[in-house]
Formats: sequence, structure tokens, C-alpha cells
Amino acid sequence: MLSSAQTPRFLLLHSRFPHKLLHFQTPKSLHTFQTQAQILSPSPPTSQILTIRESLLSRSTTAVELASNYLHHLRRTEPHLNSFLHISDTVLKEAEEIDRKIQNNEEVGPLAGVLVGVKDNICTVDMPSTAGSRALENYRPPFDATAVRKLRECGAIVVGKTNLDEFGMGSTTEGSAYQVTANPWDLSRVPGGSSGGSAAAVSARQCIVSLGSDTGGSVRQPASFCGVVGLKPTYGRVSRYGLVAYASSLDVIGCFGSSVADTGILLNVISGHDRHDATSSKREVPNFTFQSISPDSIESKPLRGLRVGIIRETLQEGVDSEVISSIRDAASHLEELGCSLTEVSLPSFSLGLPAYYILATSESSSNLSRYDGVRYGNQAVADVLNSLYGDSRAKGLGSEVKMRILMGTYALSAGYYDAYYKRAQKVRTLVQKSFKTALDENDILISPAAPSAAYKIGEKKSDPLAMYAGDIMTVNINLAGLPALVLPCGLVQGGSAGLPVGIQMIGAAFDEEKLLKVGHIFEQTLQGCCFVPPLVADGFAC
Amino acid sequence: MGSRALLLLRGITIRADHGISFSLQRSSFGKDFIGKRRRVRNYSIRSGLEPPDVLRLAETARISLTPDEVEEFAPKIQKVVDWFGQLQAVDLQSIEPAIRADTEGDNLRDDLPETFENGQAMIAAVPSYEEPYIKVPKVLNKE
Repeated sequence: MLSSAQTPRFLLLHSRFPHKLLHFQTPKSLHTFQTQAQILSPSPPTSQILTIRESLLSRSTTAVELASNYLHHLRRTEPHLNSFLHISDTVLKEAEEIDRKIQNNEEVGPLAGVLVGVKDNICTVDMPSTAGSRALENYRPPFDATAVRKLRECGAIVVGKTNLDEFGMGSTTEGSAYQVTANPWDLSRVPGGSSGGSAAAVSARQCIVSLGSDTGGSVRQPASFCGVVGLKPTYGRVSRYGLVAYASSLDVIGCFGSSVADTGILLNVISGHDRHDATSSKREVPNFTFQSISPDSIESKPLRGLRVGIIRETLQEGVDSEVISSIRDAASHLEELGCSLTEVSLPSFSLGLPAYYILATSESSSNLSRYDGVRYGNQAVADVLNSLYGDSRAKGLGSEVKMRILMGTYALSAGYYDAYYKRAQKVRTLVQKSFKTALDENDILISPAAPSAAYKIGEKKSDPLAMYAGDIMTVNINLAGLPALVLPCGLVQGGSAGLPVGIQMIGAAFDEEKLLKVGHIFEQTLQGCCFVPPLVADGFAC
Repeated sequence: MGSRALLLLRGITIRADHGISFSLQRSSFGKDFIGKRRRVRNYSIRSGLEPPDVLRLAETARISLTPDEVEEFAPKIQKVVDWFGQLQAVDLQSIEPAIRADTEGDNLRDDLPETFENGQAMIAAVPSYEEPYIKVPKVLNKE
């Protein structure tokens, strides 16, 4: 089951963790490091949200103490990572308010005291929301995104806004107009993208959970690169109100956590119909929180009867061989848990990538026309209106964004619509049908989340096609609107401690519940793996 | 690892000429697709689709580009548009286009105006404002 890369990591943690723990353990910070101890031990990940809730309600810690410890750790790690574009200055004040309520025996929400990172393309009323673009530098939205509003209503504290590729257009977070985020597993590598800041922040334990957005894999690929759990909900499950639009028919807000349970709790809070987003579903939201299973229940074959289809096209030439063996190991683990495994073929799979890029660039050329410098954002000085538009956009938008807008403008040009946009929509139909057939015959489908583990900063920066190719595993799921969960399943060679690889589990529309259940059992029974990056495991010594 | 990921693209663009294709090699659909690859390259010429003219596109999209940007973007955009072109070779005649994910039916609310509570903050964000107008430079040139 375990690859050779995993075993040394396991031993390493065993031997070095205890004295590091002692070194940092002070009475003041006891709670946080109890939490860290749970993360760092080779035992399966537990819900940090539930642990915090229990500690707060039993008065064994306070929200202020917890927040101070996280802020302290965030400030120490941030110079190395650059995950955040903005850190809130009201964290402690909000924590005090929670402590006051607990002291007065008032009801507190399920996320009381939980520090959440929010991708900077999701609007927050009291903080900048730049979407990683100079076009929105200093922009402060007049409203909270619905997902953020729901988090706050449940007691969560938004710790800050995380870095991203400009407007979500990229797969490395190098496309941010402000800074390059590093991967906590190896600071010379990218965290993935576009939600790289949100993934790195959870991976480095700078916050407890975070929100990202996923148009073509922007939650799942960084989750894989950073060794955290990432969930892309079904299109329509979560309101997009307040999410800066990139490609509206594909965009969804997603969740990051260090355990499947935490991403489920987060999804529970942000899901549901919203009158401000006509595409949000009116379906009832099931309870995505669940009873934790005991890790030793692997013997009882807890997933007996679950039909798992492994997508043949995702394990072929062009995919890193170590990634393929990690996924095959993960598939064997699912079999050990009682699943029946079959290979499935999705014939339209590779067509999904160009179709996706046609649709996404076309929609972006329309959506981003609003950044003209007239109503908000940076305005250029000009003496005629067309120059004001052209110059404001030229100054505000980065190269990748400009190119995508131009590609989309080309694809939507008069006379070309049928050749590009409409054909891409037809491929979308093929993709949807092939997933439907495969999911009629299987409960879930599995694949890698990316063709490789995290690569070096700068490696793909100059070649857009090389970067687009890395999205092959994820874009089809957006075309079909399906939910997908990515969770770490192995380590491959690279960095000082190996690099994480994520398995992607794809479910039928609105069946996140099944994905979360399977993911939880998978995670709790995966032996000997501990997905804590060296930055954290080395006792914050950076 | 970057070059490995690129193989995914080569599978359908460059290597397809040798009859080897990532992910499509086992399906008849794929074979059909691969067989047409040679013709795909000239599709835009035969069908009258012009290659992208970056300056004209920039004007349409209202983005003022510098000469350096035009030089930098043109080959990159051309490369991606060529890559888009592979869809021309796929037989999609009988397939209906899907405009969205289609996970849920239409769910439109009534189209009724309502007042946004924090309207003042929106107005405050306007870079150039003279009550009650948003101010912009002149729309028409004298000539």
C-alpha cells in the first residue's frame, strides 16, 4: 500500500515531533499545540472545527487565545509563503465578542472562533477584494458574498484574503498582480492555482479552513499540490453572489480543510439557495457533517458494495508515473475497504480541455468587460472615453488576463461563433453524457487531481499551453457541473519530505454527501500517511 | 514535470500525426478524430476563418496594447487558437449544445427592481463622480 517515499516521512515525524512539541508548549498556547499535536501525529486527521468548538464550550481555551496563537504563527510563516494579500485587523475583536457570548452562556454558531481564509475574488465588505488584479487595487466591495455572510453568521472569523492568479486565471498563483505564493512543502515550488493562497494557508496551518473558487480545477489542483482536502461542490450548490465572475457557467465557490470532516462542515454552512443567484439550487441541503468513524473499522469493509470507476484516460501517457502509482495504491485501498473497482472510459475526455478553454475565455471576455475604470477600480487619465476604457484596462489587467480576453474575443467574433463557442458547447454535451453514463454504472469515479505533483516556480510561466495541459484532470468536471473531492493519498519524490499527491473523487450532481463519506473513511483508514508540510512539522522554525 | 504535462497536449496535437493519442486511442471516436488531424491544420484557411489579428481584437476588447505586448501575445494567442482548432475535426453535427452545467432546471426570479441597501458605498467607489452623475471624458472625437 505505501510507496517507498511515504515510509521515511512517517518515521521522521515519529522521531522529531515530541521534542518540538515541548519546545513550543507554553501554558498560554496549550490549546493550539494540542491541536497541532493531533495534526502532526501519524494518526488520521481530525476535525479542527469540532475540536475548537469543544475547547471553547468546555472553557478549556478562549477564542482570543486561539486567534492570537494562529495570528502569531501566521505572521511568522507568511514572509516565506505569501499566502495572504490582506490580513484582517479585527480578528481579536471578533474573538473577544465570541468569548463574551460564551461567558454569558449565549448561543454561538457552529463555526464560532474558527479562523477562515477567504480567496480574494470573494467579496468581503470590510476588507479589500482585489481578485489578484491591479484593476481592483484598494477596491472595497459594498457587500459580503453570500458564502462569507453565512460564515460570519455562524461565528467564523475571516482572518484575511488569500492570494490567487488574477481573476482566477491560472494554475500556479504566479499570475497574481501582487505576489507569488510558495508551496509549504517546498518553498521553491508553486502551490497550484488559482486558489493557491487558500490551499497554502490551510496546509501551513495559517488558518483552519478556507474558501476558494473552482472554474476549471482551481480548488482541486492546489489541494493536491499542498496536501490538503479540497471540495468543488456541484454547480448551483453554493451561491456565487459576491464571487468575482470569471466564467459564470463554470464558476463555483469551494472549500479547503485539513480533514474531510472540516470541508463538509464548511460546505454545510455555505450551501443553499440564494435569491441573489438565480443559478443556486433550491434543493434541500443535506447534513454534510457526520459521525467520525474509528480508524480500525477498515476490517469491517465499511465501503462494501460501493462501485468505484477509475477513469482510464487519466492514467495514461503524459501523467507522471509516480502520480499514477499513488492513484493505483489509493484504488487498492478503496478495494480493501470493500469497494468494487472497474475501469471506465470517457471517450470525450481529452476534448474537454480545448472546449473548456474556449468557453472560459469567451465568458471571461464578456464578464471582464466591466473593468473599464468607470464605476470602480483604477481609472486612467484620458481625454476621450475610448482611451479611458483602453488605458484603464491596459494598466489594470495582467498579461494572462489580457490574452484570455483576446482569445475569447476571437472565439466570439462574428462568423466564428459556430466554429468555436458553439462547438465547445456541443463538446460539453458529450462530456456531460459520458459522465452520466459512467455515474449510472458507478457510485463514484476516481482520477488524479493533476498530472504531476507541484512543480517549480517559473517552470511553466512562459508557455500557456503547458500550464493549460495541467488542467486536464479537472476541467471536464466543471463542464459537467459535478461535485468532486480531492484528498491527499500519497507522497512522491521532491522537496525535503516528498510532495503530496491528491486523489480526485467525482460524484453525481448534488451527491456531495457520498463523496464526503467515502473521503472520510478513506482518510481515516489510510495508514502511515501524515500530510503536514515540513514548514509546520519542523516546529514553525522558519 | 512540466514537459510531462505537455505530453497531454502533444497526444492530440503533435503526436496525433503518428496515430498515437492520449486518451482517445482505444475509441473509434478517437480514431476518426485522429484520422482527420492533417486536415485540421488547414481548417481555418479552408473555412474562411482568419487567424487572430491581435491589434483588431485588442481594439474590439478595448485594451490598449503596447507594441511589445502585441509582439509577445500574437504567437501565444495563435498557438492557443490553433489548439482550439482541433474541435473542428470532431463530428458534432447531431449533438445539441449545452449552455450550462445543466445540474438544475431554470430557476429565474421575477425581474423586479429593488433597492440595494449600501448604495452610498457603491457611489463612493466611483473614481470620478459629480452629483448626481458619473463623469467620463467626452465620448466623441471632434473629427
